Amino acid sequence: MGVSITGIGVVSAIGMSVEENLRSLRESKSGIGPLHYLQGTKASRAGEVKASNDDLRRALGVSTEYVSRTSLLGLQAAREAWGDNKRSGVIRTGLISATSVGGMDRSEVFYKDYLSQNKPDYQLLTTHDSGSTTERIARELGITGYINTLSTACSSGANAIMLGARLILQGTLDRVLVGGTDALSGFTIDGFRSLMIYDEQWCRPFDESRAGLNLGEGAGFLLLEGEKSLELTGNVPVCQVSGWANAADAYHQTASSPDGKGATLAIENAIRRAGIGLGDISYVNAHGTGTKNNDHSESVALKNVFGDHIPPFSSTKAFTGHTLAAAGAIEAVFSVLAIQQNLIYPNLNYQTPIAETGLAPVAQLNTAVPVNAVLSNSFGFGGNNSSLVFTRYE
Amino acid sequence: MNKTALYITAASTVSHQPTFGNAGFSAALGPVGADHALISPDYKAYIEAGLLRRMSKILRMSVACSKECIAQAGIGQPDAIVVGTGLGCLQDTEKFLNTSLTVEGLLPPTSFIQSTHNTMAGQISLSIGNHGYNMTHTQNTLSFEHALLDASLLLHEGDRNVLVGAADEHIDILDDITGQLAFETGAALTSGASFFILSSENTAYTMAELADVHVVGGVAGIQEETDAFLGRNGLATKDVDLVLFAGNPVDGALKNVPYLALSGVYATASAFALHYAADLLQADRGVRNVLICNALRESNLGLTLLRTVEA
Repeated sequence: MGVSITGIGVVSAIGMSVEENLRSLRESKSGIGPLHYLQGTKASRAGEVKASNDDLRRALGVSTEYVSRTSLLGLQAAREAWGDNKRSGVIRTGLISATSVGGMDRSEVFYKDYLSQNKPDYQLLTTHDSGSTTERIARELGITGYINTLSTACSSGANAIMLGARLILQGTLDRVLVGGTDALSGFTIDGFRSLMIYDEQWCRPFDESRAGLNLGEGAGFLLLEGEKSLELTGNVPVCQVSGWANAADAYHQTASSPDGKGATLAIENAIRRAGIGLGDISYVNAHGTGTKNNDHSESVALKNVFGDHIPPFSSTKAFTGHTLAAAGAIEAVFSVLAIQQNLIYPNLNYQTPIAETGLAPVAQLNTAVPVNAVLSNSFGFGGNNSSLVFTRYE
Repeated sequence: MNKTALYITAASTVSHQPTFGNAGFSAALGPVGADHALISPDYKAYIEAGLLRRMSKILRMSVACSKECIAQAGIGQPDAIVVGTGLGCLQDTEKFLNTSLTVEGLLPPTSFIQSTHNTMAGQISLSIGNHGYNMTHTQNTLSFEHALLDASLLLHEGDRNVLVGAADEHIDILDDITGQLAFETGAALTSGASFFILSSENTAYTMAELADVHVVGGVAGIQEETDAFLGRNGLATKDVDLVLFAGNPVDGALKNVPYLALSGVYATASAFALHYAADLLQADRGVRNVLICNALRESNLGLTLLRTVEA
């Protein structure tokens, strides 16, 4: 049994809304380019959301300046997913967000002034902790009760969706807004550069020549509802989340195992949970960051699970950049859209298969096949591997 | 919650008190003293030397407590690892932030790698070779309760043993920040890690029954929420033998003890309180139930109810 999705919202480098993101995906239009809003970083390109903090605050009606970009992006997507829904005394409603660095975009402004003893504004730190980014979103939406934040690096967003579905199925909540959000920061850009996996060129997921990732920013949110909530709201499901699994790779703190152990477990268990066959998966939205290590390990995992019958797959990271904790949630929204619109997105910048695995992702937009079930992968530091399965609502 | 019974079958805490490897510690525990410091166990007994050198305080505490719990409960592998942390790996976060703002050229990546909130859960899975569900919750003062609730869900879904815990570490800048922001903490800022095995099986190792756990973000009425929580568990406040609280005491309970005086202040100190309660329930048969009422941050309420297990 799955859980119904009745609302979706997304903001990323390729658009401020579901509609804008969908248009860019259809037109193969990437949002990765030189940075305009985040100044002073060493990255030559990233997937920046095309709005300043002031633009976002104005559009969202947030008056305080003590708010992280992470919260603003999250609120933008959460509002869209929440739509016209009303608060309710009888529908137990929760909020689960995911973020990797929370308000680091503000904290690093403080810390720079702190180091140079240039009148640091300590108030900026009130938005540092990841939990506070979620509480800000909850406050703006008027949600109280179950408010939670997950932080498992790059798989966080997928894990928020998984936890929300489990809470509904166990009857702890009736409906829950789930997703993830992360803003670009000098901290994460320097971090991935220090690991020497930040590509100064446009990233090339699943290509033999791939040389790393481009970071991105954004947020994705989905409204999940159980039976009781659906009866009361009258909302019509747009899709179902039917399968989910998380597994530890237990191989290395950052690198994925060469045999794809954790990823294989996550994919297999998620599909089993969905109660469908391997052959029922119409499309795989891969994690596909563009790093040597991830794309190889993920390819091995896909072969482990699907053998010679790997479904059409692609990574959308060359559109959005790697949005860290938001990635699993943004790509969940893309997965829902793939089912709604019968779309398989192109893996931009692919030319040559990875020599060891020989897999070819979908390189051109495909609108000619029915998409009934999508597998979405998200893998993170700490060997944190998560897979979700979305299916058409019938 | 309130489905099948859940049991705490192992507990381990590193703190500023003599908690580690010291069953029965609750009997003689006084407030954290003025000369307090973190009491570290012999980490070499739990962590390989090369790895230990690179590990920050929060990682050492978490891995040692986890291994100690697994040994205590006599289980091979837990089915899942669930961790709560309010502020995550502060030591490595500050270190990398400092490096990235002051060093030109190639930066050493270790502190970045170890700065993510799920480094504890990841390092635990690595150190014991665990491939199960691996989760990290970070909801400031409710991070531990959220982890406990997730662990409870897993056991209701069919898992048998879940390693669940919480950790937060103190770094010097925190004292400066709390001063500048005029936070009144009431007790010293400290570090601490507490881990547990939560089990669906009542074994020879059982310390206490976890009767219920509940979280409320943006809480309106703490007293009403507490009464309703106790009511769902067939209790009134007068039936509660001991309340361990952060925030305000619970009127009507037989005894109220402010646990931050014992643990010091950190975001997940309620995990210390849970270990204290489980330890006390084993040692003092006069105490049949303990309510942990966590309103360390007054807008957030965590309620955890522990019961004694009849022999």
